Amino acid sequence: QHLAFSNGAATATRQEKTIAPANSKSIIKVLGELEAIYKVSFNYNSDQLEGKFIKNDLLPNKTSLEQTLKLVLRPFGLKYEKLQNNFYLIYAEKPTSQNLPIERTGLKRAQVAAIDISGKVVDEAGAPLPGVSILVKGTSSGTATDATGNFTLSVPSDDAVLIFSFIGFMSKEIAVNKQTVINVTLVPDAKALEEVVVVGYGVQKKSVVTGAISSVKATELENQQIGRVEQALQGRTSGLTIASSSGAPGAASSVRVRGATSLNDANDPLYVVDGVVVGDGGINYLNPNDIESIEVLKDAASAAIYGARSSAGVILVTTKRGKTGTINVNYNAYYGTQAPARKLDLLDATQYATLINEQSVNGGGKPVYTNPESLGKGTDWQSLIFNNNARIQDHQVNISGGSEKSTFYTSFGYFGQEGIVATDISKFNRYSIRLNSNHKLAKWLSFGQSLGYSRVKSNGGVGGNTDFGGPLSGAIMLDPLTPVIVTDPTELKAVPYATQAVVRDAQGNPYGISKVVQQQVTNPLAYIQTQKGNYDWADNIVGNAYVEAEPLAGLKIRSTLGARLNYWGSENFTPLYYLNANQFSIQTSFARNRRQLFNWNLENTASYSRSIGNHNFTILLGQGAYLDNNSSGLTVTYFNLPVDNFDDASMNYSTAADNINATGSEGIHHTVSSLFSRLTYNLKEKYLFTGIIRRDGSSRFGANNKYGYFPSASLGWVLSQEDFLAGNNQVNFLKLRGSYGITGNDVLGDFRYISTVGGGRNYTFGNDNYLIGYSPDAPANPNLRWEETSQLNFGVDAVLLQDWTLTLDWYKKKTTGILQTVVLPAYVGATGYPYGNVADMENRGVELELGYRKQVGALKLDVRGNVSYLENEVTYLGEDKTFLEDGAKLQNSSYLLTRTALGHAIGSFYGFQTQGIFQNQGEIDAYIAENGNKIQPKAKPGDFRWADLNQDGQITADDRTFIGDPTPNWSYGFTFNTTYKNFDLLAFGQGVGGNQIFQGLRRLDIPTANWQTNALNRWNGEGTSDTYPRLTTKDDNKNFANPSAFYLQSGNYLRIKTLQLGYSLTKETIGKVGLQRLRVYVSSNNLLTFTKYTGFDPEIGGNNMNNYSIDRGIYPQSRSFLLGLNVGF
Amino acid sequence: CQEDFLEVDPRATQIESNYFKNAAEVFNGLVAAYDPLGWEGDVASGYANFACLVAASDEAYGGGGSSSDVWYLQTMNNFNLLDPANGPQLGFWQRNFTGVSRVNTIISKLEGNISGLDEGTKKRYIAEAKALRAYYYFDLVRLFRNVPLIITPLSTDEIYQVEQAAPEAVYTQIEKDLQEAIAEVNLPNTVPAATEGGRITKGAAQALLGKVYIYEKKWKEAVQQLAEVNGTPGGTSKYGYRLLPNFADIFRPDNQFHSESILEIGHTAIAASNWGNTSKVEGLIASTMFGPRSYNGPLYYSTWGGCPITPELYNALYHDPRFKATIADVDSLVRIGKATYVPGYMNTGHFVQKYAPLQSFKSTGAGAATLNYPQNYIEMRLADTYLMEAEALVEGGGDMARAAALLNAVRARVGLKPVAATLDNIHQERRLELATEGHRWYDLVRTGKAATVLAPMGFEAGKNEILPIPLPELNNTKLVQNPKY
Repeated sequence: QHLAFSNGAATATRQEKTIAPANSKSIIKVLGELEAIYKVSFNYNSDQLEGKFIKNDLLPNKTSLEQTLKLVLRPFGLKYEKLQNNFYLIYAEKPTSQNLPIERTGLKRAQVAAIDISGKVVDEAGAPLPGVSILVKGTSSGTATDATGNFTLSVPSDDAVLIFSFIGFMSKEIAVNKQTVINVTLVPDAKALEEVVVVGYGVQKKSVVTGAISSVKATELENQQIGRVEQALQGRTSGLTIASSSGAPGAASSVRVRGATSLNDANDPLYVVDGVVVGDGGINYLNPNDIESIEVLKDAASAAIYGARSSAGVILVTTKRGKTGTINVNYNAYYGTQAPARKLDLLDATQYATLINEQSVNGGGKPVYTNPESLGKGTDWQSLIFNNNARIQDHQVNISGGSEKSTFYTSFGYFGQEGIVATDISKFNRYSIRLNSNHKLAKWLSFGQSLGYSRVKSNGGVGGNTDFGGPLSGAIMLDPLTPVIVTDPTELKAVPYATQAVVRDAQGNPYGISKVVQQQVTNPLAYIQTQKGNYDWADNIVGNAYVEAEPLAGLKIRSTLGARLNYWGSENFTPLYYLNANQFSIQTSFARNRRQLFNWNLENTASYSRSIGNHNFTILLGQGAYLDNNSSGLTVTYFNLPVDNFDDASMNYSTAADNINATGSEGIHHTVSSLFSRLTYNLKEKYLFTGIIRRDGSSRFGANNKYGYFPSASLGWVLSQEDFLAGNNQVNFLKLRGSYGITGNDVLGDFRYISTVGGGRNYTFGNDNYLIGYSPDAPANPNLRWEETSQLNFGVDAVLLQDWTLTLDWYKKKTTGILQTVVLPAYVGATGYPYGNVADMENRGVELELGYRKQVGALKLDVRGNVSYLENEVTYLGEDKTFLEDGAKLQNSSYLLTRTALGHAIGSFYGFQTQGIFQNQGEIDAYIAENGNKIQPKAKPGDFRWADLNQDGQITADDRTFIGDPTPNWSYGFTFNTTYKNFDLLAFGQGVGGNQIFQGLRRLDIPTANWQTNALNRWNGEGTSDTYPRLTTKDDNKNFANPSAFYLQSGNYLRIKTLQLGYSLTKETIGKVGLQRLRVYVSSNNLLTFTKYTGFDPEIGGNNMNNYSIDRGIYPQSRSFLLGLNVGF
Repeated sequence: CQEDFLEVDPRATQIESNYFKNAAEVFNGLVAAYDPLGWEGDVASGYANFACLVAASDEAYGGGGSSSDVWYLQTMNNFNLLDPANGPQLGFWQRNFTGVSRVNTIISKLEGNISGLDEGTKKRYIAEAKALRAYYYFDLVRLFRNVPLIITPLSTDEIYQVEQAAPEAVYTQIEKDLQEAIAEVNLPNTVPAATEGGRITKGAAQALLGKVYIYEKKWKEAVQQLAEVNGTPGGTSKYGYRLLPNFADIFRPDNQFHSESILEIGHTAIAASNWGNTSKVEGLIASTMFGPRSYNGPLYYSTWGGCPITPELYNALYHDPRFKATIADVDSLVRIGKATYVPGYMNTGHFVQKYAPLQSFKSTGAGAATLNYPQNYIEMRLADTYLMEAEALVEGGGDMARAAALLNAVRARVGLKPVAATLDNIHQERRLELATEGHRWYDLVRTGKAATVLAPMGFEAGKNEILPIPLPELNNTKLVQNPKY
């Protein structure tokens, strides 16, 4: 938030922005008159005084200045402080001691004047700052600037250090060092405690907030290369675990506020953009550059105002708005290249053939390749699909400004990113336009709107993190023996090149088809050809309009209508192709998918704020109605068009009806109807209380449980307002707070509370007499009730030693009655799974946010860091039930990889414990049970020795146990921002710790798939390895098929996400050409990642507990180098 | 107003309490009870169809691309690999229990008042449903022996209380269901093939009951039922059953519900099935398993290379007139230069012909061709019931002349000379006549020969006669694993 301070002397030249009502005067005018009468100057923030009027008949006459000020200012909650030299500071709330006017510190003119210093203090725009206190460090002497920002001061010696401080600005220290003229520029302090925080249906001063709310401001996001909103939060707030599900352009990230709240899809926080619940479809449409602030409501007390959909936390996004004054035009851009941050170490042809031979012999077969050495290096598939020069660019223009009647903010943005994997089929483009404006129709009536439009076009043919195909799994698993293209004439004349629709390169050479690796693993270059041109698109219009009336002072009535209009779809052409014996297409098809969605919500609120003596309170009452999933879609497919590629495909070709296939669908509406209220109260801003209650009705629940009630209460105590801390120089601000509340979610299917009947249980009688059958979907559960999340939170907010800010939170979040599909035993014969309130879960955690800012001479420092610790435990799963039946799967793994069980974290890795490798037959024979029988009689040397955990003398499913946790316990981030003269340097890093990753890069049902180089360390004779078993085509011991710690690796990482160096041209240089700002920078993203993980990337998000931290070949993150430009007019 | 706002349009979602109220809706419920007949499992639960039983017998190997490809076939071909978590058992289990559940539902719905449904039709539906339940339970009890017996819709409270029943109790229920179906006068003897082919008829119910008695070794009862199904050997029975003159015609995809077919499971290409929900696949996936890999040549199209024929079966059939219609001799085509393919795991060059993916019937419509092969699977045919009756007559000391007539009618149809009606001859005839149709493994098990014949495949007597209870079924339930698994 930009603070536009102005001084009284300047008011003469300043226009009144608002016309005073009859018989009234604006306060600004009154102050101007007082300045003339009493020959004083006032310093105030015009934003705080703007629009405030006083009736003429209330104006006192012929009293003292001080009395007049009290009378005029008090009704508006304003105060004043007398500074030096007839300067008065007028402010809206008590300033912190950090910025205490100089008189408070017992300032006296220095008695002994050794050196006289003079200078001028200005703000970033060059405007003089009057009333800035200047203190000689370590003494109580100092002065303040006059109306023109000038000061003079005598200091005892050369080594004196001056501290310049002013409310709303970052304080600055400057060593005198023989200078006699010291000119200082102060920069606004966005983190000051008078900062306001968006709390849902309103704003609150941060100093009196009682909930646990983290916020990220636009200034922190400036010049950071952020493709999506989630990335803006990663590492910048505590309490969030954010992991991207892919490095593909435009890919979403999973966002968990204080860990997973539920077992179902209700783990995604609720996004509210400018007051509009965005809901499903996410916030991909939003241009991150338009964001003014993001607030994360973490505890239940804060989130409860969003009731039934807030259990996973609420993320409030506020977009930028115009400000009264001159028109600002900004152009920000960057351009850069990206390359994969890391490649896998895979075997070359010789190594591969060697291991294949060994594997074959161990399996009882013959060596396959007679002379592995002769095969050389072979094909490096990774290098063929990776692009080391993928472009990324971003262009943003925004124009903002306004008059006293209207303000506006308009932006145009373009973001384009090429993927680093198979760029031809991996691209993302977003065009966006935003139009926000506010209008004051009358003194008591205002109107405004926020409107964002975006078009997203993405080519997402790479996929990734699947063991079922795509260029990545091809590059990882395809053997290095297969040539990229086939040129050998004999081979070209043979099967399949001579007979099948093999895919060819631009020169007409067929791409090589592996003779040994098949299934979904194909030549990635050929695969890319089959996907060329296919794309997804989405048009989004998200906006709201509000009207706000203030019929009485303090009473605000507001009505907001928001809507999301979304059109999206895809275009896909499937040519004839033959990738291998399993992957081929024998007819062309051209599919067009179109879907649309129109969601709306209506909210009406009334709030009343009043101060009675020391009692300040605000009451909010509100009503809301929400409709979403109002969607429909169509897919039409044309088969056998007379074309062979995407570009030529068209539905204009005359096509017989039996070559056209169409399907359609409609969404079942989801409606929520709500009533909510909030009481905020404080006594002298010292004792704070907030209480919330919300009632939500949801269409997704039966009559028995249609409505849910979500209450919360929070208390705060600002200790620094107490006498014993007032004026304390160590503890400048200190607040203790505690909260408890209940939130919920209704993320479950529709009509789950009644038994439904579904079609599609079809059967054919006679000659293609294809009949539609109907049967019940799943046993009904009429007692389905709201999932509830209760949360207890204790927190501390503090400003210490002037420069340090600290926020510490402890919480306990308990979710009861978790809604999830119940996996019934198959003997029930149900066709679907019913929903049930199946589990209870608890998250406990601690979060710390620390900040330090300081200006020493020309060096400005701003360091922020946060760290969060989280523990998750399943506490109840139903009578006698100790685990849920579902879990993560991997192709041909003998068992599920994960298990959600009582007393453990959700989705914990579950498998066998290995006790090293049998080095010889003797060890196998010696591995006996109590009864003397061999535990693994069929094992061979080189096989894993499995732990017989239940000691029944054999290795069975019952010997599995919990072997790891996919969810990080620790997540942290830090930002180091420093400016020296015209240079600025930014380092931003982020990391997680405490989790494991299951590395399932190699498909078990393809024994000929390529290996990573660690396979060279496999057991191949006594003493060769105790961790990597022998290779064999007959894995009777299930060394590889059994999930075990063999596949687990530490998921810890620390990543330098951004390293940026910028240079700003001085105003003197660029002012001549009419520029306000010109900055150029170089930046690198993902420059360094510190991790022991051996896959592409340790950051592996997922949508649910069944894919989090499971690596099936994730699309790697890119490392980029960028050149950027910021221009302001 | 607020209440209305929270009541949303169900958009074609049917509420169970409003459904099954008229004749059309209960018929839809009956169709749903037939639906699992066509299920062949999926990736998640393991493909489960007769191909698994072919691989489990001495007729074929696992095949596929590698030792770990087509895992459901490998585990049945090498019993060492079969364990509660690995194998096709969940697919079989799901298919049959889903069938049982749908039958139980529709029978309970039919007890209510159905508008527009006459009493005769209602009784026919109930009889069909009971026969289907018997069919599903017969599969379950043969494959798993120890299964829960559920004959009414389960309430939510009962789900986790279910225990396994004694196999005898299951057999008793199967007999009862079939007897009641057969006794129902409204169950037709035959149905119009073009529109209703595949629906349960009295003949099918009786044939099934006869087969059930064979497995119970109730020889006399078996003969009683099968004699009515078979009629005069070589003639046309009272249900219209008659051996086809040309053996190869039995398996022509375009020759459906012919006079030799007693219980036939419908498959079609018109559903345009696709990958995704494979329980909704309406084509015959078994065919897709059987075809050679990367094949290029006449007759077949390229599929997964499963179930390569063992040399034992190849040799046994080599001089038999049924060879060509039973074994796809792809190797010969390659040798004469007419075809090429990529040999898979344990390849022998010989594949299943009766249900091979034939180019001439390959689906070219919407959906993946591999999932839309339009051939019906004949679960029971007249030659089978002839041979079963012959066996029951011999085992039970019945009419030996009729036994010989039945056996030799089967042989005569393919031009083979008559032989004596000994048990060995009957068993051998079953092996050759019914090869790769999914009966051999059951026959080996019920005649006690499995342990000897299948020993090279790791068959363990007292264990591998049945499949393990699928591992997930033991999670949080009262079910007990089968012995030795």
